[in-house]
Amino acid sequence: MEKLLALAQAQEAQAESYQLDTDLDIVTFENGRLKDISSSLQSGLSLRLIKDRKIGFTYTRNLTDREELLRNGLVTLRLGAEAYFDFPKTGSLPELNSYDPAIENLTNTELAAECQRVHRALSGLTKAQVNLYAYKYVYRQQVLNTSGTDLQTKGSSYHMQATLLLPGGSSGIHRGITGKSFLSASDELFNFLAELTNPAFREAQPKTGNMKVLFMPEALYGLTWRLKAGTSGKSVYQKESPVADKLGQKIFDEKLTVYDDPLNDQMPMAVAFDSEGTPCRKLTIVDRGVLKNFYYDLEYAGRMKAQPTGHGNRSGVSGGDPITIKPNPALDNLYIAPGSHSFENLVKAMDRGIIAGGVLGAHSGNIPNGDFSIGLSPGLYVENGVIQGRVSEAMIAGNIYDLLKEIVAIEDTVYITYGGTCPSILFDNVRVATRN
Amino acid sequence: MIEKLKAILARADADYADLRYETKRETKISFNGPDLSHVTVSNTDGYVLRILKGGGFSTLAFTREADAEKALRTALENARLIAKNSRQPVRLAAAEAVRDEFLPKLEEDPRQIGLDEKIELTKKYNALARSNPLIATTSIGYSETVREKHFASTEGAVVREDLVTVGISGLITSRDGNLIQNARVAVGGSAGFQILRSREEEFEKKKKIVLDLLKAQSVPGGVHNVILNNSLAGVFTHEAFGHFSEADLIEDNPTMRQKMHLGAKLGNDILNIVDDPTKYGQLGFYKYDDEGIPVAAVPLLRNGVLCGRLHSRRTAAEFGEPVNGHCVAEDFGYAPIIRMGTIFITPGKDTIESLFAKLDDGLYILDAKGGQTSGENFTFGAQYGYRVKNGKVTDMVRDINLTGNLYKTMQNITAIADDFRLTETGGCGKGQTNIRSCHGAPHILVQNVVIGGK
Repeated sequence: MEKLLALAQAQEAQAESYQLDTDLDIVTFENGRLKDISSSLQSGLSLRLIKDRKIGFTYTRNLTDREELLRNGLVTLRLGAEAYFDFPKTGSLPELNSYDPAIENLTNTELAAECQRVHRALSGLTKAQVNLYAYKYVYRQQVLNTSGTDLQTKGSSYHMQATLLLPGGSSGIHRGITGKSFLSASDELFNFLAELTNPAFREAQPKTGNMKVLFMPEALYGLTWRLKAGTSGKSVYQKESPVADKLGQKIFDEKLTVYDDPLNDQMPMAVAFDSEGTPCRKLTIVDRGVLKNFYYDLEYAGRMKAQPTGHGNRSGVSGGDPITIKPNPALDNLYIAPGSHSFENLVKAMDRGIIAGGVLGAHSGNIPNGDFSIGLSPGLYVENGVIQGRVSEAMIAGNIYDLLKEIVAIEDTVYITYGGTCPSILFDNVRVATRN
Repeated sequence: MIEKLKAILARADADYADLRYETKRETKISFNGPDLSHVTVSNTDGYVLRILKGGGFSTLAFTREADAEKALRTALENARLIAKNSRQPVRLAAAEAVRDEFLPKLEEDPRQIGLDEKIELTKKYNALARSNPLIATTSIGYSETVREKHFASTEGAVVREDLVTVGISGLITSRDGNLIQNARVAVGGSAGFQILRSREEEFEKKKKIVLDLLKAQSVPGGVHNVILNNSLAGVFTHEAFGHFSEADLIEDNPTMRQKMHLGAKLGNDILNIVDDPTKYGQLGFYKYDDEGIPVAAVPLLRNGVLCGRLHSRRTAAEFGEPVNGHCVAEDFGYAPIIRMGTIFITPGKDTIESLFAKLDDGLYILDAKGGQTSGENFTFGAQYGYRVKNGKVTDMVRDINLTGNLYKTMQNITAIADDFRLTETGGCGKGQTNIRSCHGAPHILVQNVVIGGK
């Protein structure tokens, strides 16, 4: 990469290279059958160039042909977008414990054996079909730029997810466990999943109306997606955020605290610098209901004349290949602070309501405005604290800037999910549309 | 390249193996509001190896040629591990080993068009979309993907095909005080760059809709009779029904497999659904899938009765049904999986006028805003809609999301119009993205649809 930067400097351009190498093994079981083992060994490199206040971007998998990569970069630089920043010089950063070498010894045979063990355990507790997958992931990334930044990190993660399917196909109660290396799934997890699933073999038919809804952590991304959109420096710059002028104001229930903490290396995927080489830090977005900060990458910090917050990440809203994505503001290590209630007590606190175990269609609707109108997948109907059965063909709808003022209580434990590390949250007065 | 692939395959200790090498050239241009915010031209490449050994079938994607030996070793280990733990050995349905090359002859090949011209065209459409003070912002981009695929198998198949896809698409956002609305706009396809020219009308139309949405009422949640326009009826076909015609989604789900047996009466008698990616010029067109199998048109539902299914070689063998060339990968990073190509409801007998007369009172909802399915249940959003009273379209409504049960909804399709339209851009995300996923339909009348409201 140093040679590549030297070639760019010869063209009198600032340059930044981002290299990512990943090894992934994933084992999939469906209905007790080892369905697939897939592996991938991927390397790639993104190059950004800045010259005369313009910026170019290109990427490759072929790390041997630097000249072609540079040629593509120079084409995009000539016609490219305006640059609002220079590549930063970032010195030494705290060492994070993001890599557990034990993962190297974890074989696909062991991943398959764990899935088989979990399948046996769950099958003894429920008649639901059990689907499982487990993966191990090792990544190495390096950010190098002509300002003198040279940062490298290596990380590992292990994840196993179990889904208990409800009648009618692939909608089911699911939960995963995630660590920097192998974690054995516990009886507590098995019992939790079975106790939620078994009453849902009955069908309940609640009437359309406003009621309590308990979002499990696995369903919360339908809401956090909108919060992330509304508090992004990009949305603020583009005048899409409904809270652009609300910094310092109490906009949500005081039980809600939301922050991003890339430095927490108790969790997998911790990182001390973002994908542009800006130092990461813990950033509070919402503190006890008060909107505290927006988050920025270098570009939108430059456009807004704000300080970059270390959130220039190469992630898309629904995943994507980091090599191909230019840095943009993204909260990749989101946390919602836990409350003080057990999950069991949250269910007991529901006179009439629905447990959202997952949501369908979260990507649909007016996301920057905070609107949501999402299917329940699955939804469990509760009366007087007891699960009555699953609800089919039900939707919940509203706007997060109304809903997050209606928090009844928050669970005392957080779980790592697709949208962040979150507890379950019980809301009141949520609009539920059903067939009845 | 083919010789290189053959040389790697020759070292595979396998009952069957195939190797796909692809280059992928992407050009992307983005405008956010007035600003050109992003330009990239990039070349990437990589390999996908599949090995069948002793009844275990495994895939490994790799990007460094130097990793070929490691890939062969790991894929073999994985295949053996699957075989050891599997109650049922994997078989691949027999197929002719095709030796062919298909390079589409495009009217205007985007590879021959300068980056400057692509930027100017995108800029022009973006400016059109922005030309009103109530437009808060736009996010409109040009996307060009050129996949050059080389495929070889130990059975002797050698296939070379190019897939060239272009589009200009994005989001237009309007704002009045605290009220923010948006709508998607998209033009594109697989037939060449010319399909992007002279499309001003589409951007003007969507700008007007997003401005009108500022004055529209929220749709009331509850059960409604609705007419879905072509785009929405296509999304319904894709999301609610289409995914369950993909054999890999139901093969290990006994409940769905039982319900989706060939001969099952799933829909109203008037309902016919086909997946046909063989028509050149459509977004979903291709000639060979990523197993080297020629794609075929597959009738899926005839008079409401399930009559076909989409297959890979593996699932065709398992179900004892014909291979039909529907096993497709996003790119060199992925194993091929079963995908719809161009799925649609065939035109019915009603005119648009008679369809509205049959609806009488209800909602007319238009243009997809994403959809998702889980088991029998599906959810999808509409960009806008109108109340219909006495068969006449009246006020605009917004905030429309529908949910439903596949089987009930297919029975509740009570009238199908005689018009027809396919989508120009795609993006199905079944674990990997298929940018050429194409769907379409006539206008259809559906009774008793659950709408979330706001």
